[in-house]
Amino acid sequence: MSDYIRLLKLFFPYKFWMLGGAFLALLTILSNFGLLALSGWFLASAALAGLGGYATLNLYNFFLPAAGVRAFATTRVISRWLERVITHEATFRLLAQLRSWFYSRLEPLAPAGLQGYRSGDILSRLVADIDTLNNFYLRVFTPFLVAGMATVLMSGFFAFFSWRLAIALFLFLAVSGLVLPFVAERLGARSGAEMTDLQSDYRVQIVDGMQGMGELLTYGAGPEILRRSRAVNDAILQRQAKMAQISGLGTAGMSFMGNLAIWVILILAIPLIHGGHLGPSDLPMFALGVMGSFEAIVALPLAFQFLGQTRQAARRIFSVADSALPFPDASGPAPKVQQPDLLLKDLHLRYPGGQQDALAGLDLHIVAGSKVAILGATGAGKSSIANLLLRFYDYQSGSAQFGGHELKNFPADDLREYFAVVSQRSYLFHTTIRDNLLVAKGDAEEDELWAALAAAQLDDFVRSQPDGLDTIVGEGGVKLSGGQGRRVAIARAILKNAPWLVLDEPTEGLDPLTEMEFLRDLQPLMQGRTVLYITHRLLGLEQMDRVFIMDEGRVVESGTFAELLKQGGQLSHFATFRHGASA
Amino acid sequence: MAKAERIDQRLMQEGRRTRGVLYFGIGLGLAAGLLIILQAFILAHIINGVSFQGLSLAAVMPLLWALLGLFVLRAALSWAGELVAFRASARIKTYLREQLLKHLLQLGPVAIAGERSADIASTMIEGVEALEPYFSRYLPQMALVSLIPLAILMVVFPEDWISGLILLITGPLVPFFMVLVGYAAEAVNQRQWRKMLLMSAHFLDVVQGLTTLKIFGRAKDEIEIVARISDDYRRSTMAGLRVAFLTSAVLEFFASLSIALVAVSLGARLLQVHASVTFFTAFFVLLLAPEYFNPLRGLSTHYHARMSAIAAAKRIFEILDMPLPEKPQQAVEYSPSTEISLSVRNLHFSYEAGRSALEGVNAEFPAGKVTALVGASGAGKSTLASALLGFVQASEGDILVNGQMPLNAIEPELWWKQLAWVPQNPRLFHGSLGDNIRIGRPDADLTALREAAQNAHALEFIENLPDGFETMIGDLGQGLSGGQIQRIALARAFLKNPPLFILDEATANLDMENESLVLDAMQKLITGRTAIVIAHRLATAERADHIIVMDAGRVAESGSHQELLAAGGVYARMVAAYRGETHV
Repeated sequence: MSDYIRLLKLFFPYKFWMLGGAFLALLTILSNFGLLALSGWFLASAALAGLGGYATLNLYNFFLPAAGVRAFATTRVISRWLERVITHEATFRLLAQLRSWFYSRLEPLAPAGLQGYRSGDILSRLVADIDTLNNFYLRVFTPFLVAGMATVLMSGFFAFFSWRLAIALFLFLAVSGLVLPFVAERLGARSGAEMTDLQSDYRVQIVDGMQGMGELLTYGAGPEILRRSRAVNDAILQRQAKMAQISGLGTAGMSFMGNLAIWVILILAIPLIHGGHLGPSDLPMFALGVMGSFEAIVALPLAFQFLGQTRQAARRIFSVADSALPFPDASGPAPKVQQPDLLLKDLHLRYPGGQQDALAGLDLHIVAGSKVAILGATGAGKSSIANLLLRFYDYQSGSAQFGGHELKNFPADDLREYFAVVSQRSYLFHTTIRDNLLVAKGDAEEDELWAALAAAQLDDFVRSQPDGLDTIVGEGGVKLSGGQGRRVAIARAILKNAPWLVLDEPTEGLDPLTEMEFLRDLQPLMQGRTVLYITHRLLGLEQMDRVFIMDEGRVVESGTFAELLKQGGQLSHFATFRHGASA
Repeated sequence: MAKAERIDQRLMQEGRRTRGVLYFGIGLGLAAGLLIILQAFILAHIINGVSFQGLSLAAVMPLLWALLGLFVLRAALSWAGELVAFRASARIKTYLREQLLKHLLQLGPVAIAGERSADIASTMIEGVEALEPYFSRYLPQMALVSLIPLAILMVVFPEDWISGLILLITGPLVPFFMVLVGYAAEAVNQRQWRKMLLMSAHFLDVVQGLTTLKIFGRAKDEIEIVARISDDYRRSTMAGLRVAFLTSAVLEFFASLSIALVAVSLGARLLQVHASVTFFTAFFVLLLAPEYFNPLRGLSTHYHARMSAIAAAKRIFEILDMPLPEKPQQAVEYSPSTEISLSVRNLHFSYEAGRSALEGVNAEFPAGKVTALVGASGAGKSTLASALLGFVQASEGDILVNGQMPLNAIEPELWWKQLAWVPQNPRLFHGSLGDNIRIGRPDADLTALREAAQNAHALEFIENLPDGFETMIGDLGQGLSGGQIQRIALARAFLKNPPLFILDEATANLDMENESLVLDAMQKLITGRTAIVIAHRLATAERADHIIVMDAGRVAESGSHQELLAAGGVYARMVAAYRGETHV
């Protein structure tokens, strides 16, 4: 419940939209109720007046009820249309609100606080959760609110005639609207949950089968794929059969309850009419009124289904939104930096939940304007240096000074202005090349963009595309080759024009020939900048002023590439291996 | 629209598979519809009796009991209808899933390489699922939409022809105006509405790129962009929806207004001293009026079901319509051999017209020798391997097995038994590590398994895992490193131990420790066997018995490492490029 209250608080700025939509929905239902009930009453009373002869006929006011019938019909048409327009408009606004809110919560957490959510799956689930939460208004909030209010108002109308009839209608609407769907939802919940699991199993199976088809076929597993698919399909159908039974019972039960309500109201009302307590024309009004009233609860079975979904979605969303900030950001003005050099002394950095220090007493000095390579195997702590510099993660002890000031004293955004980063993780947004470049410099002129592309050796390619700068790069940049994607990252780095260039395994995932060209084209960008080149490959090291070899979070060897080769330490071991016996 | 109807036709054809069940379902729906008329008749009698004939509760009780019986019967029919509808669609779903998967497997890995596997998965799961409402709701409703109103008209006309006329005229106007206002437009707009909600794709993009945005100090601005895009989208979608919602208003307009018209006209005629209609008739007709429009209401709901079913079916039929490779002219008796050599003669292949990948390749792969394929990306190495694997059929030329047997005359399943294939990025499948290695020999015992893992340098890390070979893929937290996956794939090949190996060496930059283990295991696997290796590393090419250098879909040169160096061609230049850059 508290999750829903919180959700409603989030939606508070749009309360008028929300309530306006709900009011129109209520009006639509009430006018249908009014139309049917009044028509029934009108026919009976007109017939009675006719039977009574001229005397009663002259007293009978035909126009008022006839006008009422027409008015209800018209109101229903208009309010139905307005209701749909307003509720959908509200839904859009709420969605935008939810996304902004969630983003503003997420932004300070990235990346350290989202470490557990790294994989695309979990992030996309969270984003899907936002969409689910958005159903809350249209599919949960409005149906429940409207059903409740309509039930009270319609039963209240019956109470003018008889308390007993009012209570009967109220009970029938409450039981059919709340109890039946609740029970059906509970009964179906297990099959539903099993279905979700089965479907995700099935998905894994199919994706496995497609992506690994060559291997599966050559290993003779083709028939096995078919057999497994059949088994999962059967299991899914079995659950669905059960769910169809339950939902069938729910639908049949709902319409049966509606009919039973008419029946019970008749049983209760007939003696009242026969005894003269109520007029004869009230009976058709009750019968038709009950028929119309059940429209109020038609949407509730679906609302119950969405209620369960939104509850889980809300729980997940709020738990992420409530995550504690990984570490506080410095406030106040950024320290002034004269010479952007880096001095690390006995630095220890451990990732949240990590078993050991990623940087374990690291000492490192990088002089402003020098070109430095950090070499090491996976897990040696190379990339942690980049994470440290960009203030993605905090360090626990030791000292890290940038331009003579402790890193902790820099507001993270100010610190990041000193660094341009090219890495395999440089993300390409699913938009145009232009927009991807503007990320680095929002106010860049067209000329600047082309100049950056030229420096990154990507201008010919972009020019050859029919849409030029407006070429869409595709989801995650799929429409570009690995090398081209990395070149977009270079162009961004050029546009950013920062004093430091951090190359974090920039050629990871590129084939060897592309790798060589790429490193060659990076050369101009390195001029006049402090370069930190993080790699586990030997390519390009000879151009560096100094190479540090890292192992277990510490520097174990350092010197120029030539010196290190001569020393015969780790580096020469790597070198002989890489190029084979004859190298 | 014409296209949608074609798909409709094909779907109906599929529906024939369960024709009996479908008709039965329609029969149930029709029976339930007719019972409504009977129910209205009894109800009108009861109310007329009490209000106008002064009958007591006891006097109408028999009728009330009959009414209750009808209610029960209707509920039972409705429930049965639901189950029958499910049964009908279940059969079609099973059939389509089976067909899809069979077809995809026959197409083979190369033909489907252009498809996104996630997309295929959702076509097979949600796509097929989206057909259910088409068969269980839309088709039956299409039948009922004319039958039930007709039945009601047949009852109403003898009772009161004026009301009958009102219904007869307004009824057909509903579909007419719906088409006019944009019946289909609403469905299209609904889809756009859904797409708008799915604009979460954009949001997801921003969330995934958050770290990159932060590096550029743009993370805080981005939210305004998200909001702005949402807002633009809202404006354009709502403009469409406002019109689209008119269709539902049209239905409401005719349904409500004709009820009002019927009521007012009946009321006016009742208000006469010698009224031309009785209250019974008037009330009976009034009870039937909403029921007359109910099937139409259902149709408009299920129209959306039709639109999404058609969208899904389009994709399903697209896959089923992908042409299968030609079957071998005559399957030849092929007895497995322990030594395999391959000769490629003038092989041509193109993925699509005008983009040829192989242009007359001639090559020999002698038995018991390691042959390396070398060349730039796009030179045709992978295509040649695909042809040797039987994944693609050459448009011209032959591949001869052991000098005589054409490869395309051998049943693919038989051929695959003769070889092991290790692709560039091997895939681990859902299941345990052991299952993954045993994939080609499910009956292999632990000793064989350990031996294969040992040979592939995979034993040590597997046995260091808490569950060893029983470790489930997917429970592995961080997952396995690229090098570990490579070694598991090699263990598979060791365990299968066939006469022919086709390998595509990993291009991914494994780190140094891993790289040495992988390359060492690979050498051990292929030395002294018939092996074809697409080499991305100089060291691998150097160690091969024979090197074939490919360029632009042809063999540029071939020979041993020393011979090719001496020849000073493409290969020699590649080697120089490697060495020159690194100064080692």
